[in-house]
Amino acid sequence: MLYCAEVSLGTDNCPHPGSLGGMCYRCGKRLEEESGVTFSYICKGLRLGNDEIDRLRNTDMKHLLRHRKLYLILDLDHTLLNSTLLLHLTPEEDYLKSQADSLQDVSKGSLFMLAFMNMMTKLRPFVHTFLKEASEMFEMYIYTMGDRPYALEMAKLLDPSREYFNARVISRDDGTQRHQKGLDVVLGQESAVLILDDTENAWTKHRDNLILMERYHFFASSCRQFGYHCQSLSQLRSDESELEGALASVLKVLKRIHNIFFDELANDLAGRDVRQVLKMVRGEVLKGCKLVFSHVFPTKFPADTHYLWKMAEQLGATCSIELDPSVTHVVSTDARTEKSRWAAKEAKFLVDPRWIETANFLWQRQPEENFPVQQTKPEENFHAKQMKDQ
Amino acid sequence: MFFHIVLERNMQLHPRHFGRNLREHIISKLMKDVEGTCSGRHGFVVAITSVENIGKGLIRDGTGFVTFPVKYQCVVFRPFKGEILEAVVSMVNKMGFFAEAGPVQIFVSNHLIPDDMEFQSGDMPNYTTSDGSVKIQKDSEVRLKIIGTRVDATEIDKNISQSRPKWDPAGSHPSRFFCIGTIKDDFLGVINDPTTI
Repeated sequence: MLYCAEVSLGTDNCPHPGSLGGMCYRCGKRLEEESGVTFSYICKGLRLGNDEIDRLRNTDMKHLLRHRKLYLILDLDHTLLNSTLLLHLTPEEDYLKSQADSLQDVSKGSLFMLAFMNMMTKLRPFVHTFLKEASEMFEMYIYTMGDRPYALEMAKLLDPSREYFNARVISRDDGTQRHQKGLDVVLGQESAVLILDDTENAWTKHRDNLILMERYHFFASSCRQFGYHCQSLSQLRSDESELEGALASVLKVLKRIHNIFFDELANDLAGRDVRQVLKMVRGEVLKGCKLVFSHVFPTKFPADTHYLWKMAEQLGATCSIELDPSVTHVVSTDARTEKSRWAAKEAKFLVDPRWIETANFLWQRQPEENFPVQQTKPEENFHAKQMKDQ
Repeated sequence: MFFHIVLERNMQLHPRHFGRNLREHIISKLMKDVEGTCSGRHGFVVAITSVENIGKGLIRDGTGFVTFPVKYQCVVFRPFKGEILEAVVSMVNKMGFFAEAGPVQIFVSNHLIPDDMEFQSGDMPNYTTSDGSVKIQKDSEVRLKIIGTRVDATEIDKNISQSRPKWDPAGSHPSRFFCIGTIKDDFLGVINDPTTI
């Protein structure tokens, strides 16, 4: 007693835009070969062909632009939060176990004990306000190198009512490449995407979209993981400043970029590129500064390939090898060098290289007097510290 | 579609049940074991309606267990390609919507939703016509046509009775059937607006 009927769409001339459960969702045909990109975070078993991805990117983009929104991809670890395995807690951190916030109402809490995952998670200060305000300007994604169960648990802590991310939680199980993050699994045009991540190397193909975040090291295990031998925030019983920390600073930048993109650019909405706005805003931070480096890289080193040189240029400064009257800053690690003494004599600014890095993280030129150069050689070589970071 | 068919199954019984309640015990065990299971061929067993015949028991060599062949009538449910079904919408997103008809989960992609219906995001994501007259959202009832089916037939382990799927409109259990559907044809679409009484 089989009931058969004509299928409304011919299965032969169907372009098979995508499939769910192994069946084309336009004609129902069982698809044997697995083509296209997996988008399991949207629907389990969903695969989309390239044309369909382009089509969806296009319609989604138009929809978002109409609502004055761009895309924001958020990393989890060290960007929005810091997690540690319980067995990695030091004795000085034991006090945290009794201070954990309730899991019943996570909207006000920041420190959570997730015993069923054997870990503790601390949300970065200001994160609730950050998400609330950013959600008005951006459609947000979580993109983490953690596995999917971890990603979903963190999403529950950050977004219990599913209003910020909904299904847009991408984990390493969703990525197409092993140790790289990519925008190929994001249904948004690259020209409208901004990324917040603490790890530059995860986004080698999309550096122009990336806003690098200063790492949030709350737990001792996090400091150890990156080779720092200092005490962590938890050991010092302290925390990052809520109103002056990384999230608050970057929120101001995002507001600025959003404002420029929607209200100050003259050309057609579809032709605007947020990467150019980002570049422009970044280039204003150290505008007008002319820097010369001293005792920062070896003499024979091609100076303009050094990351500090390139960072300073991206921030809008001009860099030079030779001293001349137009130089405004000497960036040095030793106050006794010729160039450092020249700066002191000519009343130019003499700053430690961290002056550039802090400007990069806080998107603001920092007061030069806060970054004096060491009179004696510092204990830990500056470069060695940076090398560990790379 | 529902069918009323005759199936046969071998029931294995422990000797402790041999006694005057043997027949009742076989029938109750049959119902526990079979109702709610799903096979690729017959579909989802909704309910056993009657037991036609219980054959002679055969003692298994080496164990004390006895096997009884049982013939029974039951109502089964199985989706077919081309079939027209009524289902309840369980989830709406920009790719389309999911609807459920008992143990069957159907996905209707936005390619197969009429062109005049547009996706609206928000608290209650939905597809609406331009004049707002027709809306598809969670809990809407729709009439759709199945254009592709896939069966995840699994014999439920007798020891894990909790994993047996119950009739669950919210669809929190893993569905036994997954189908692709369309509402783009005549007479398909919303049949009941949940916002009106």
